[in-house]
Amino acid sequence: MASPINKQTLEHLAELARIELNSKEEEKLLKDLQKILDHFKELQELDTANTPPMSGGTDLQSVFRGDDERSSTNQGSGKDQFPETRDGFLKIPPVFE
Amino acid sequence: MEPLKNLTIRTFHEGLLDKKFKALDIVQAFFKHIKESDKKIGAFLSLSEETALKEAEEVDLAVAQDKEISILAGVPLAIKDNILINGLPATAASKILENYNASYDAFVIQKLKNERAVFLGKTNLDEFAMGSSTENSAFQLTKNPHDETRVPGGSSGGSAAAVAAHLTVAALGSDTGGSIRQPAGFCGVVGLKPTYGAVSRSGLIAMASSLDQIGPIAKTVEDAAILFHAIASRDPMDATSADPVETYGEELTNPDLQKIKKLTVGLPEEYFVEGLDSEVKKNVESVIDKIKSLGLSFKKISLPHTRYALSCYYIIMPAEVSANLARFDGIRYARTKNSEFRIQNLRDIYLKQRGLGFGAEAKRRIILGTFVLSSGYYDAYYDKAQRVRTLIKRDFDEAFENVDVILTPVSPTLPFKIGERTDNPLSMYLSDVFTIPVNLAGLPAISIPVKSTASHQLPVTNLPVGFQLIGKHWREADILGIGQYYEKLE
Repeated sequence: MASPINKQTLEHLAELARIELNSKEEEKLLKDLQKILDHFKELQELDTANTPPMSGGTDLQSVFRGDDERSSTNQGSGKDQFPETRDGFLKIPPVFE
Repeated sequence: MEPLKNLTIRTFHEGLLDKKFKALDIVQAFFKHIKESDKKIGAFLSLSEETALKEAEEVDLAVAQDKEISILAGVPLAIKDNILINGLPATAASKILENYNASYDAFVIQKLKNERAVFLGKTNLDEFAMGSSTENSAFQLTKNPHDETRVPGGSSGGSAAAVAAHLTVAALGSDTGGSIRQPAGFCGVVGLKPTYGAVSRSGLIAMASSLDQIGPIAKTVEDAAILFHAIASRDPMDATSADPVETYGEELTNPDLQKIKKLTVGLPEEYFVEGLDSEVKKNVESVIDKIKSLGLSFKKISLPHTRYALSCYYIIMPAEVSANLARFDGIRYARTKNSEFRIQNLRDIYLKQRGLGFGAEAKRRIILGTFVLSSGYYDAYYDKAQRVRTLIKRDFDEAFENVDVILTPVSPTLPFKIGERTDNPLSMYLSDVFTIPVNLAGLPAISIPVKSTASHQLPVTNLPVGFQLIGKHWREADILGIGQYYEKLE
């Protein structure tokens, strides 16, 4: 059976994940992913039609906090970590061209 | 002064109270030792000498004034570099965070600061805690102190090596699929992965949020219990941190042998199979006899879905990785000023910064995660894996109806050579085959070094071997209790 992943899907995934890959990386990654996905085939041996998915690390139920006003986090120090700022604003390139 | 290798949290505290030494002298001695020896080991990525010395002096002042101090006061600790300490670097061993300094304290750090513990520095790891050998660090290799041609395990390899090489009294690591227990096993120290929800993840750089837990790495089980007791707590900043931890008490650090004796230990047949190194097998079997001598009974059990855990984990974890690592966009925590790229387009900045900033394993997992979540493949991979996760958890639930704890090896092999597995990701992933199911089920587990005794010798190579005790949810006391009595046996 052909692997579900080929050069073209890999390039699409890299684009979705916003990661630039060079051709050497692409080649190695494709081989690794094909091998890893091949290993995953073993899961198909299991009948899970009537098994519910476990959607997190815990059986805890959702809890809600009161909708109360409270002071926010330490925004100021977070801003200090931003590489480029001007007059208290964060500098990024234009989103729309 | 007390040789550093004799210091545990307990002996440090007693020495401090008996005025055998000052905290400042010990902390200075550790920095001297680190500067001399860590060139060889490579455990630390950064040191925080100035604040550490100041903290130690304050503890000495409190002792001189006969003020009451916590058992952790002045205790030198090393912290894995994916846990935030305000004002200090937190690189997660990734180039993309090379210039990042934490702007707040992780919850566990706040707790330890309240106890006046002293932080010596930040330790090396596989990039974003992704790996089993610490070879995926973007900055340096860490070597196994027992044999410098071998890996210390990973991803908390820096923390485990620092404890084993006596460069610190104890350390914190994080464990997503074995990242505390496997390096503890490889380095011959103790490592505890708490119940999911026992320790807040606030301020831990997230890898896979439904699996990650912070935990202690220490020289003794007692020290691990002391540290765990200090950091376990409900935290409103982590919605998955849970209330049951409020019932943890004295039994963690002061277990009752009469109660421990009554526990039944399960031996899962699926963990003692082909592929298990014969030295590891022999060593773990020696532990069974020792624990029997304490009066505990043993039972054979089965965890039938064990063999599917690796595939299940390598779908769920990368899926969560691909979401969690999306925040590293090259803008908020950029490694290079974007103006230097002369790119005027946001999309190209993401591509460039992430392409240059992430290492090979991080890229592999982000892309694999993107794939298993993508339209057309979601049901076949991600949804399937989540259902298999339920089966794996049920195996444990059923086993725990008949036994109280489960004993297994930590890793199927002895520490491997540096470079031996870097080209083949699947062979690297296999070193976590015995630790991964525990994270999937959210259980607590501890890795304890097998003791060399009169009736049992360690492998001829003198490499350490660890065994793992897995407990029921919120029953760290059982595995820590057995561990503390095992440790006292001759």
